[in-house]
Amino acid sequence: MVGEQLALTALMGVFLVAVAGFLARMEDWRSYTPLAGGSAIGDAGYGGHAEKPAGIVRWFTTVDHKDIGILYGIYALIAFFWGGAAVLLMRAELAAPGFDIMQAQFYNSLLTSHGITMLFLFGTPIIAAFSNYFIPLLIGADDMAFPRINAIAFWLLPPGAILIWAGFFTAPLGLGIDPAQTSWTMYTPLSAEQANPGVDLMLLGLHLTGVSATMGAINFIATIFTERGDEVNWANLDIFSWTILTQSALILFAFPLLGSALIMLLLDRNFSTAFFAVEGGSPILWQHLFWFFGHPEVYILVLPPMGLVSWILPKFSGRKLFGFKFVVYSTLAIGVLSFGVWAHHMFSTGIDPRIRASFMAVSLAIAIPSAVKTFNWITTMWNGNLRLTAPMLFCIGFISNFVIGGITGVFLAAIPVDLVLHDTYYVVGHFHYIVMGMIAFAGMGALYYWFPIVTGRMYQRRLAKMHFWLSMIGTNITFFAMLVLGYLGMPRRYATYQFDGAIAPLAQVTTLHQIATVGAFIIGFAQLIWAWNMVQSWYEGPELDDADPWNLKDDGMFGREFQWFETQKLAADGGESEEVRADGGEVETDGGEATGRVSSDPRSDGGYRKAVRRVDDE
Amino acid sequence: MASDSEGKTFDRETLLDLVVNAIPLGIILFFILAFALINPFGSNPVNTAIQFSIMAVTGAALLVLTYVSGKAISEAEDELEEKGLELSEEAGAGEVAEPESEPTPETTDGDDEPAA
Repeated sequence: MVGEQLALTALMGVFLVAVAGFLARMEDWRSYTPLAGGSAIGDAGYGGHAEKPAGIVRWFTTVDHKDIGILYGIYALIAFFWGGAAVLLMRAELAAPGFDIMQAQFYNSLLTSHGITMLFLFGTPIIAAFSNYFIPLLIGADDMAFPRINAIAFWLLPPGAILIWAGFFTAPLGLGIDPAQTSWTMYTPLSAEQANPGVDLMLLGLHLTGVSATMGAINFIATIFTERGDEVNWANLDIFSWTILTQSALILFAFPLLGSALIMLLLDRNFSTAFFAVEGGSPILWQHLFWFFGHPEVYILVLPPMGLVSWILPKFSGRKLFGFKFVVYSTLAIGVLSFGVWAHHMFSTGIDPRIRASFMAVSLAIAIPSAVKTFNWITTMWNGNLRLTAPMLFCIGFISNFVIGGITGVFLAAIPVDLVLHDTYYVVGHFHYIVMGMIAFAGMGALYYWFPIVTGRMYQRRLAKMHFWLSMIGTNITFFAMLVLGYLGMPRRYATYQFDGAIAPLAQVTTLHQIATVGAFIIGFAQLIWAWNMVQSWYEGPELDDADPWNLKDDGMFGREFQWFETQKLAADGGESEEVRADGGEVETDGGEATGRVSSDPRSDGGYRKAVRRVDDE
Repeated sequence: MASDSEGKTFDRETLLDLVVNAIPLGIILFFILAFALINPFGSNPVNTAIQFSIMAVTGAALLVLTYVSGKAISEAEDELEEKGLELSEEAGAGEVAEPESEPTPETTDGDDEPAA
């Protein structure tokens, strides 16, 4: 018997080595050769990227900030689809009042998974994708300050996700490990008393993602302080880098606290400590610790998207960001003030009314820097030469959604209003306007804006616009319905709503839930269009012929990242501009367009520019 | 003289930029005064101390960060001016930035549509 087992183990070992060897040699893994990457050009600045191994080993061993940015992006998007699938199941369940397609336990599992996935596995990593790829380019650095720590920070995330989602994989096996049902806030005593080991796995996974975020934050702070190019200083540092710097400082103070609180919760669950027990430190202690992390987390997620919009919006408005320094100072103000507002999530917990009033005061104060930014964006567009490309549409949608999401938040900051609306769908509607309407919108806008740099190709503009409009309509249908549901008193986090019609108007609540469900499926459909567009355009989109697909040079808005892209592209093309023009002419002919001339005015889109923008122009 | 350089660092324009953070500070100050004058819940050494320290500590932190960042940015501006470099976000990174052009005054109906 022992011999058999040994032989089996050895055989399995050989098999695994063979699989690893096979994967390592698969050339297809290398089909993406970043134009902007070291392997293609051999001169990306950081000497270590001059040669990269072939096959999948390249992706496992890379310390190139651009590769790691792409890894973060792919990871975040997988999480986005997981979280999206979870919420579509939940919305389907909520289309009718009773238990129709699932039981409460499964609904609670989906609810928990949706929240944690979207905030920790999609929100933070998608921002890290942009910052990893573009911060070094924007500040003129060769790479991140600590490239290997950068890689480690990313590689902590996949195990984190597996642990967070583990219960869904193990539940069908009958091991007694089910998905966590704690909601993303993990309020005690509920989270301390659920015996399910799936909760422990989720807490460990969350801890890993927190360590990852902290390592990344230290890296960004070191990079922005010490790795800037000679001509970049605090006065001309771009706005996206400012927001990432502020975000990193917030992470540095907030995430270690979450890690400590998670360990205390794990100890309560497994080692009979009483940090959060009613007879011990009290469940309210958890809420204080959690929200001291949790509210800065909101700004950790929202400041970089604000930076993205502040960076992209001027490019399509034909003028510089209005009041650039106002935006910088207000970003820093938000960073500081975000640590003085945490208990506005706890107004209804019975904390001392004097202390509650202070948190209201700071919460009202933090609305100002946020509103300042909104006015700056609007003023940037005012009298500008607007070009409604997909990135610009997402930026404008972002502002529009922020107006609703932000103002509904100001109401919630007022104690009397909050006491009425707390734990209703109004709160859900408010923060989804922020997380979906702002964060995801800015992310999508940035994906479209930088798609040409990352892939060397252009996406399909008609699909991108369909993606925007469906997302915009779906977002507003879904989350506006939720605001109204909140006014009607519909409590959040419930799988059913079969209440007495005398308590609340059941018919209206049902209708509004159905409207929200339809909106959610519209959003879901829009993301499928987007996924198709990204994948197909990456493989088959028209290749760029010059490094200015957005005609930014015309307005003097050719940013540092595109300047860098131009040098890479010229190096790849051998620096022959005539050759570029000739290539463009060929594509022009193939494209069957009527204008077969090279125009001196790029706006007229004649000549070689057509090749770049063929698909993106309607 | 330290005071001279301070005065130069925080010139009129810099102070004007910093006004943006004076507004939340003003709001916090307003509430500190309001809660000191109007006190419907009575005083308690611990809770009243926490009540005012939340506002005071947050406000003081904002004040310090605004001062430090304002100073850093203002000095960096002077440095750029000495080097004769552009203040633009687009400049730098080892590349020569395109000359700044005046924004087109008219607003089109959007899109980078080609002239048909």
